Amino acid sequence: MTALLAHVLHQAALGALAAAGFGVLFNAAPRALVFCAVGGALALALRTALQDNGWSLEAASFVAAVAVTLLAAGVLRRWLGSGATAVAVAGCIPMVPGAFFARALLGLFALTAPNATGLDQTLAVTIVAMLRVVFTLGGIGAGIAISLTVLRRREF
Amino acid sequence: MQSGSNGRVIHECGALLARSQGVDLLGLRVGYASTSITLGRDGNSITRMVTVAGHGVNHRLDQAVRALVREAAASGMAPVDIGSRLDALVRDTPRYPGWLVAIAVGVACAAFAGLFGADQRAMLATLLASGIGQSLRQIMHRHGINVFVIVAAVALLSAFLGGLGARLDGSGTVDLALFGATLLLVPGVPATNAQVDVVDGFPTLGSARAVSVLMVMVFVAVGIWLAQMLLGMQT
Repeated sequence: MTALLAHVLHQAALGALAAAGFGVLFNAAPRALVFCAVGGALALALRTALQDNGWSLEAASFVAAVAVTLLAAGVLRRWLGSGATAVAVAGCIPMVPGAFFARALLGLFALTAPNATGLDQTLAVTIVAMLRVVFTLGGIGAGIAISLTVLRRREF
Repeated sequence: MQSGSNGRVIHECGALLARSQGVDLLGLRVGYASTSITLGRDGNSITRMVTVAGHGVNHRLDQAVRALVREAAASGMAPVDIGSRLDALVRDTPRYPGWLVAIAVGVACAAFAGLFGADQRAMLATLLASGIGQSLRQIMHRHGINVFVIVAAVALLSAFLGGLGARLDGSGTVDLALFGATLLLVPGVPATNAQVDVVDGFPTLGSARAVSVLMVMVFVAVGIWLAQMLLGMQT
């Protein structure tokens, strides 16, 4: 139990740093940066907790994106106005499946290398990694888009 | 568009401003590279098209423009005043200093690498490499270089420095440092906007965004591939 909690907190802390860092890159206002960090922490904490309970990365990412977007667009709107939507997006950025993208790229390079060996296994690993990137990105995007649509957001 | 808004926001901006000017006919087409608008009143109409200068993400400018639209719609502000206020916003909206953005990007990429399972040595190399990569991106952007060329160059430099730094520091996850250092280039906002645009009923704009996201990732891959070659990591 303690190990699970430590893992969730570790991922949440890194998610907060990543979201706040990207908030600076996106020129979010200083006050919004705090909410970006909280959004990133919540997204990673929820996703990690779900994965630790046997959920797939794709499903956990979708649920985390829905939760963070509903929370940001539903609760933060009174303080941040339409900027709450941007906070939701920044909070979900740390869930981008970069590790699988890296694995897919490495696989593609390995497949096309001269004197490549073990092509069957490399191909399978590469395709699985690519599919997980596509499905996870799709899950995050769908989670954000569906939540915003459900809330019938007003942009002004 | 140039500050990262989705298609629906552009439409709502146009509709609010047009209605405040007493327009009774409004046609608006939001494209990836250009936007055209047709306005009509009392049997007369006019059509204009403007080019989208470039795509970026700037939350503070985005929010300031929306506030201006709200104010102009409520007060019936004259078009010439709206134009001058808009120019002032583009000129005066505060931005974080370049060095701070580079540090923040470095921290974000290092955190990303940590999420993938990189060790602390690899995270440190990622932080430094992606910060330097962001600085290069700012310099190349100021010189008006093609965005895809910038992506490939930054990916090459960041990946090379990340991989080299992690290797010299004795990291056990050199490949994660190499990839983590390029994550500043992942087009997260455009990728999300692409899906939101399709859901909101702008499939053409969403598709164009998706293609540009794909192209960015291809150029990131080119940079990483070259960095791996230089580091002798290609099999």
